[in-house]
Amino acid sequence: MEQKSSFWASKKKQDMAVSLVLYIIAWMGALIFVIPLVWMVSTSLKYPTDIFTTPPKWLPISDVSWKLDPDVRSQQAGYVKIARGANGTNIIYLMSGLKKSAKVLSTMTLSGAAQLNVQKGDYVAEGDIIARLPTSGVAKVNGNIIMIADKEGNVIDRIEAPMNSKVKVATGDRVTKDDKVAVIPPQWHNYVEAWSPKALSETFTTYLLNTIFITVCGLLGTLLSSAFVAYGFSRFKFPYRDQLFLIMVSTMMIPAQVTMIPTFILFKYIGWIDTFAPLIVPTFFGGGAFNIFLMRQFFMTIPYELDDAAKIDGCNYFQIFWLILMPLVKPALVTIAIFGFVYNWNDFMNPLIYLNSSSKYTLALGLQTFTTMYGSYYHLMMAASTIVLLPILIVFFFGQKYFIEGVATSGLKG
Amino acid sequence: MSTNTVPVHHKSGSHEALWGYVFIGPWILGMILFVGGPIIASLVLAFCKWDLLTPIQFVGFENFSHMFGDKKFWISLGNTFYYTLFAVPLGIVGSIMVALLMNQDWKSVRLLRTIYYLPSVTAGVASAIIWMWLFNPDFGLINYGLSMLGVKGPLWLADENWSKPALVVMSLWGVGGNMIIYLAGLQGVPRQLYEAAEIDGAGIWHKFRHVTIPMLTPVIFFNLIMSIVWSFQIFTQVYTMTGGQGGPADSTLVLVLYIYHYAFKYHHMGYACALAWALFFVIMLFTFLQFKIAGGWVHYEGELKK
Repeated sequence: MEQKSSFWASKKKQDMAVSLVLYIIAWMGALIFVIPLVWMVSTSLKYPTDIFTTPPKWLPISDVSWKLDPDVRSQQAGYVKIARGANGTNIIYLMSGLKKSAKVLSTMTLSGAAQLNVQKGDYVAEGDIIARLPTSGVAKVNGNIIMIADKEGNVIDRIEAPMNSKVKVATGDRVTKDDKVAVIPPQWHNYVEAWSPKALSETFTTYLLNTIFITVCGLLGTLLSSAFVAYGFSRFKFPYRDQLFLIMVSTMMIPAQVTMIPTFILFKYIGWIDTFAPLIVPTFFGGGAFNIFLMRQFFMTIPYELDDAAKIDGCNYFQIFWLILMPLVKPALVTIAIFGFVYNWNDFMNPLIYLNSSSKYTLALGLQTFTTMYGSYYHLMMAASTIVLLPILIVFFFGQKYFIEGVATSGLKG
Repeated sequence: MSTNTVPVHHKSGSHEALWGYVFIGPWILGMILFVGGPIIASLVLAFCKWDLLTPIQFVGFENFSHMFGDKKFWISLGNTFYYTLFAVPLGIVGSIMVALLMNQDWKSVRLLRTIYYLPSVTAGVASAIIWMWLFNPDFGLINYGLSMLGVKGPLWLADENWSKPALVVMSLWGVGGNMIIYLAGLQGVPRQLYEAAEIDGAGIWHKFRHVTIPMLTPVIFFNLIMSIVWSFQIFTQVYTMTGGQGGPADSTLVLVLYIYHYAFKYHHMGYACALAWALFFVIMLFTFLQFKIAGGWVHYEGELKK
């Protein structure tokens, strides 16, 4: 892949400039391509209140600060009457008049820390400031609850930080309005919550095990039978070989929907609906045209002398296939395995048709069901999506070489 | 007879042929069981009425005549066309452009290729969910990005006029898959051709227009055919994003989803098969047309050596 292209090999200065511009464009594009995945992981670690924000928060970390409106305003119009309440609080009554017969319109309990702005008998209109709270005080921390009090110990405000946040102030610290009092760290427990969703009868453990089982069996079938068939197509001469090969390649053009319905009916009659068999058994019958094609390309590159030598040594065709050729086509097998893994992992339609009970669901089906229940809980949806994508991302990073070689050899898309 | 006594040069043809059939046997069986058989069965079913419970009824062309008057069928066909019409050309132009960018000898080009290729591997339910979140009208990144440009973003998946464009935008995230194919094609272009063009005084644009593109046409042709086949079969994204409904107002009801509804929700197996054949017919028609007009623009290397 790494050969130097001579497309740009012009010695002009302006070509250097063009190259630099292209370099910048390439990185900007890459940034756009990677954002959805970054956004997925970021959202999956957020505290629910940090999800729907404008502008969006990039990091799943947010500050809890002491939000305080120090002005206490009256909710109604009326005449003030003041009484003392418990713990040094003041109770403000708003009365309909000044006489004894006046009715109480509303009551407000104010912390002793509040500076009263009104006196008994004052008339206040709706929205008038009746008291002011101090904008700084001393913290008293108890777990995730932060009390802020004045010197006399009258409570000014009470802040409840989310359960697992890191409180940044200690008891006795002086806190001023808008100070950061706690930090909400990445919420890893979103993953725990998404893994065992309360609204669903199954956990992702079930989906994962089912998917692994189907993928492993399906890969076994695909690898064995595609190599087997490709060996036949590449090493033997027989009547109609090339016509059959052409038919095989052209089956790639047939939309799955044409064969899907009768195949479904066939499996229904065998009694295989709601079992893994329809997803696994067909892979043992050739393993798909694309894979046979790819394997054949690889077999063609291996010299026939090897087969002949093995034959002279007394190997039969099965031994040649298994002992001589299979070890040599390992790269092709790995390529097919990787493509097959991704295909099985992402496959949605087949499991959707054949699997009915949720205990049999694959990750793709489980995830789709998850969205129907948790459609607005984006942090959980993104956590679940990350869970499903992570194995693919890992396989991709380790098997990149094979992906690219596989596509390059075949000129097809997996 | 035992194989090891037969000298290599005098292999018995029929004997070898027999073994050839043995090895391709699994595929032949699979072909009969899961491809050929079902195709015939599907063709028969398309002329029948069957709900899997009552006996099969032969109804002649009734399914097809019903299809012609079925408004939803035309809507689903139109939606599928719309998606193909935009997603395929944009996808091909996009993947060629990215492949050209990735065909440099920058130090970081490997990392860049990985970044571009990665999303195409994640196609499925999970990526559809990511895009549902990105397309969120009020808090989605897409509309936030648009608002930074001073544009008020649409409701995307909640608006029947914007739901299909949303699917097209999402499909462009997957151009990395085709990019790899074009990259292989670009690296197969002989250097001498560029050098010859340079001697003739060709600049970047000329080299691109008269060397790169003609040499890529066979790859583009093949890729175009397969892209159309795939885009006509769009299903998973739509199912995930619309809860299997194809909403709002049937604006994302694509043909495969419609087939799915008839086969596995209403159990109208005959009509579902007829619809599947309609899909197959349309795909074949497009492929045939491609081959018809290919001669005009697809350039094979063999023609160079004349």
